[in-house]
Amino acid sequence: MTNITLKAVWGILLAGTLSNNYALLHFLGTGAVLENQDHNCKQSMLLGLGVTCVMVIANLITWPIDAYILDNAAYLQPIVFVIVILIIAEVLKSAVKGKAGDFCNTNFAKFAINGAILGLCIHNTANDYLTAVINSAAVGIGFAITLTVFGELRQRIDEDAVPRAFRGLPINILIACFMALAILAF
Amino acid sequence: MLLIMLGAGFTMASSEDVRAALGMGAAVFLALVLSSLVISLICEIIPDRIKLPAYVMIIAGFVTLIRMLMDAWFPDVLDMLGVHVAALAVSAVIVRDAEEIADNRNIGKLNRIMFAALTGLLFTAVMFVCAAIREVFGNASFFGYKIDFLEPYKVSALNGAFGGYIVLAIVSAIIASVFNKRTKRRRAANYGGRV
Repeated sequence: MTNITLKAVWGILLAGTLSNNYALLHFLGTGAVLENQDHNCKQSMLLGLGVTCVMVIANLITWPIDAYILDNAAYLQPIVFVIVILIIAEVLKSAVKGKAGDFCNTNFAKFAINGAILGLCIHNTANDYLTAVINSAAVGIGFAITLTVFGELRQRIDEDAVPRAFRGLPINILIACFMALAILAF
Repeated sequence: MLLIMLGAGFTMASSEDVRAALGMGAAVFLALVLSSLVISLICEIIPDRIKLPAYVMIIAGFVTLIRMLMDAWFPDVLDMLGVHVAALAVSAVIVRDAEEIADNRNIGKLNRIMFAALTGLLFTAVMFVCAAIREVFGNASFFGYKIDFLEPYKVSALNGAFGGYIVLAIVSAIIASVFNKRTKRRRAANYGGRV
């Protein structure tokens, strides 16, 4: 395990949140963000928190699997990672009870079927273990912030003021576009 | 439009180059057709509780196969697409298509597979149009071949993330307005001019 300084940790956290934003810049998990137009701030943050938990736990498990078990079977990487992510999402769904549990049940697909989680697990196999875990937390926080900000911005758009052709998906994409433009400045 | 929203990620990611767009389009088409074929055959025996994980596993298997084929025959295209081919295994488009096929058991198996094929062709067409616009105006090239007279006029911003979003927003607005007009005309025809 390599020595990692506090400065490097802050750098990874900042990068994962801003310049390494998976949903807006890498186009992984973008569908989940664009679909997040009906959730309020609390629901978006809960969704983001759920995805962050799945990302961190998935990376804790998939990194050692890739390093020590899939050495000669790299072609099995996506399937094995998908199995791990599905199991983690299912356990999370069962563990959370009450209103949050109902919300997780309804939006289970967004936790489990998320290109950002699988993409992050695959990208992190090129890093060392500690960096991979910190990176997964950072990317998860960035994803949560993206979901929340996008959801809030979308709810403030007056559909009647938008030209008819741009209502619905096109305006969602334009909102994401300007969020990505703001992040590109970093 | 919902399908395009769900597939916006890989559409924008692959629309930097026409070759990448066609490669991704072929991958999406094959994944949709093959997975819908298998799922339509076994959907009745899969319990409801585990249907989502089962569908995702079937799709992941086919995506792995497609990835291996692309690695053997089109390694350049696979390099351009990177992790997005693997991410097709958890693509909401393919999974929702599989769920719809399994839920609508009144529709015949052949119709289900044809619907999946049409969805794949739709995505390929959208990706190709976006990629053509971005590559011609952003990189002054088409299919990897340079277009010299466009070189001084290229807009480099179209090559990055910003270009992907802007081009897809405009293309989806055009698709939405075309479909809106067709729906209006069909309604006018059905109701004898009274909409």
